[in-house]
Amino acid sequence: MNILPLKINNLNYSINGNKILRNIDISCNEKNITIIAGNNGSGKSTLLKILHGLIKVPKNTIKWGNFSISKIKKNQSMVFQEPILLNRTTYENLTYVSRKKNINDKSYVDKIIKRLNIKDISNINTKYISGGERQKVAIAMSIIGNPKIIFFDEPTSQLDPSYKNEIENIISNLSNSETKIFMTSHDISQIKRIGKEIIFLDQGEIIYHNTVEKFFSEKHCDLIKNYINYG
Amino acid sequence: MLINILETAFNLIFTLNENLIEIISLSLKVTLSALIISVSISIPFGAFLVFYKNKLQSFIVLVSNTLMGMPPVVLGLIIYTLVSKKGIFGFLDILYTPSAMILAQTLLISPIVISLTYEEIFKKNKQYSLLLNSLNLSNFSKLKTLIYESRYALLTVTLTGFGRASAEVGAVMIVGGNINHFTRVMTTAIAHETSKGSIELAVALGFILLLISFIITLLIKSLRKIS
Repeated sequence: MNILPLKINNLNYSINGNKILRNIDISCNEKNITIIAGNNGSGKSTLLKILHGLIKVPKNTIKWGNFSISKIKKNQSMVFQEPILLNRTTYENLTYVSRKKNINDKSYVDKIIKRLNIKDISNINTKYISGGERQKVAIAMSIIGNPKIIFFDEPTSQLDPSYKNEIENIISNLSNSETKIFMTSHDISQIKRIGKEIIFLDQGEIIYHNTVEKFFSEKHCDLIKNYINYG
Repeated sequence: MLINILETAFNLIFTLNENLIEIISLSLKVTLSALIISVSISIPFGAFLVFYKNKLQSFIVLVSNTLMGMPPVVLGLIIYTLVSKKGIFGFLDILYTPSAMILAQTLLISPIVISLTYEEIFKKNKQYSLLLNSLNLSNFSKLKTLIYESRYALLTVTLTGFGRASAEVGAVMIVGGNINHFTRVMTTAIAHETSKGSIELAVALGFILLLISFIITLLIKSLRKIS
């Protein structure tokens, strides 16, 4: 199943008359890490939720390869800024997701636990683990079933440098293993470290879309300049 | 005098007085039957309401919330008119039987169970909807997950329903008729024995009711702590 290129054609989205996204046109061809950046309220998270199908938009606005969002929803997953975990142990959270994805092989969950290095917390209720560990469990849940696309909504914004580094490595490894990553981030050094492509939003509009390399080498308007300097 | 009453009352309890045990057994049978029927219908129904946001759903939630405070005697009166010989369900011939009492208690606690379940599942849905939608689950699958995630709170709801049903007197008195050895339950027996002046049995039953209430409160407290 070829999920690329992603084509967004004149996407507009409003809530109660407030325009959240305006005239979004995107074409993405590469299986790499695409960063969606912008100030608070610029529409980053909304765009991510729309791409994942959590917010409905008119048919044919978004195409993944030749498929609509609903057709490829099973091949996507999302990690939220505040991890959403069930009130169960880590192991039970993972088995829950694997069951929902029709994976009944018990050793599969063990492999995921090993891959994310979360054996120590596998039998602990997720209520009692740290923020970084919760985010690792959320990532473990998101990679079950080998989705072709994973969306990360500021996955490291509340984490200390050590977890930030660990999670960035996990995301980079996922990208290297042919998973298309979309990630929102405010962290300029993180964008530099792991991003390959960047979409910059301002008040719901795309004001920059290019490679991360060019983003940091080109001259920009004051808004982006300030973002780079203070991000 | 008070000491004599208490002594006789405790004597009735500790000697497992036949009449007392019969009344307690019938009370538990009626209340537990009503609870099982109500919970098995009202919990799924209350949870189901969360997924269907329209005018009918809002109306059902409003009616359910209103009926939570319905006086049991009014409910008893309504059921009486429906199941009495001249009522539209008179052919069922259940007036003055434990079945009518079970029906009354079921209808009495169902709005409570529906409303509290709706509130609880609504909260949980808010908490988990992004995850459940992200996993692309059907509404039925989401419903099962939300009910499971709310299990402790729903047990508390069940116990609240049990407490309300077991303490109720008006409706079961009207539709059950308080017939000795047939439809006499703890609450109706307390009212009857007190009016007769035979206060010892009423005090003994009062203690049992208080004990049940105490156990329920304790269980609810523990469940709240767990959840």
